[in-house]
Amino acid sequence: MSRLSPRKTFFLLSIVVVIIIVGMHLSAGNTDKLTPFESTTRDVLSPVQRVVIVMGGKISDFVAFPVRLYKVSEHNRQLEQQVVELKEKLSRYNEIRAENIRLKEQLAFKTSLVGQLKTESAEVIGREADNWFSIAIINKGFASGIRQDMVVITPAGLVGRVTNVTDHTAEVLLITDPRSGVGCLVQENRAPGIVEGVAGGRGTVNMVNILSDLAPKKGNRVVTSGYGSVFPKGIPVGTVQVTRKEESGMFKTAVLETFVDFNRLEDVLVITSIKL
Amino acid sequence: MQPLFFLLLVLVTLILQTTALNYMVIYGFKPDLVLILVILNGFLRGTREGAFLGFSAGILQDLVSGGYFGLNAITEMVAGYLAGLGKDRLYRDNRVIAAGLTWVCTMGAQLIFYILLLSVDVPVPVVKALAYVILPTAFYNALVVLVIYAYLYRFYRGDPSSNGEYFNP
Repeated sequence: MSRLSPRKTFFLLSIVVVIIIVGMHLSAGNTDKLTPFESTTRDVLSPVQRVVIVMGGKISDFVAFPVRLYKVSEHNRQLEQQVVELKEKLSRYNEIRAENIRLKEQLAFKTSLVGQLKTESAEVIGREADNWFSIAIINKGFASGIRQDMVVITPAGLVGRVTNVTDHTAEVLLITDPRSGVGCLVQENRAPGIVEGVAGGRGTVNMVNILSDLAPKKGNRVVTSGYGSVFPKGIPVGTVQVTRKEESGMFKTAVLETFVDFNRLEDVLVITSIKL
Repeated sequence: MQPLFFLLLVLVTLILQTTALNYMVIYGFKPDLVLILVILNGFLRGTREGAFLGFSAGILQDLVSGGYFGLNAITEMVAGYLAGLGKDRLYRDNRVIAAGLTWVCTMGAQLIFYILLLSVDVPVPVVKALAYVILPTAFYNALVVLVIYAYLYRFYRGDPSSNGEYFNP
């Protein structure tokens, strides 16, 4: 190989770097589409990823077994107590539910709550490689009827939305990603706001733009509002931890703890259609 | 280590990084194994190979993980170059020094990543970026290097190609 002078090397290198930065800036709004090469890579890698993630889970379970055993008895006692409380709540709930159905029939009222969703279950086979973004790769794609902008949930609550799809995988933008924004409202006082992710993925999200006089209290539940076209109404998102004033002074921000444990995301449901 | 073998190792690491490593998450953070490989590769080979192989590893990562093409390429090129600066200045036989270098290079690379994020319009407040991402990743990476450095160093030392003889642009 012929040797280039350091100056020439530096010059060539600068050109490459400048081209990449400009290209990156121009394509920034367009990451929803994968190049054919990227989608092929993903489809090829997905079985490998799936095997490795299952094996990793097994090993982790095995290593953590003694610790879990120790915690289980304490946990069991708490659960037994909870069962008693919940049984009592359940009987009240059944009563209210029956009443609700009756009243709805009288009003011919239609809602888009989680019970009326048609879903496709999928496994998480990969996560982001860095600590900045929060994405998940799932093992169902175009072939299983998954399309862009479909909403992803678990029985616990909202996970995110599908951003791009290959034949057998799909990428989910989690609500903890700094690029994500979801229209939500506080269940107790109906205060609207936008739930945004925070870089670093620590299982907390911020609900911003809450009107000052509607500031939520600690422990209040936040659900999706259904404003905008992507997320249906009434999917649980998280509980309020702290509320503080925004810099502008006009709005408040609430820090939420999500219902979904994003560090242990394994099985998810993709909402494929909503039965109204 | 031959460059092709290095890139293969990066690919395997990348698969681990997106899958099994999620079981090593501490408080929501995981180490960046690809970045660690690039940094140690730069440290043991020098600036030129460090930057070049860092760039290649970054391109590979961009291809596999999708998203903004070039983001990791530039970040890891900087990391490889920075680490290469330590090649003739720092003592190689000590893992604490290697871990310290990893800390510094991870900080540098993640700061570049942060600046590039701003250029693709992903706003992250600087305090949060430092406290929630950059510093924890740097510490976690340094910790991992403390554990794995001896193995990797032995691997490199037993290989004659680690003196930059294969790559002369």
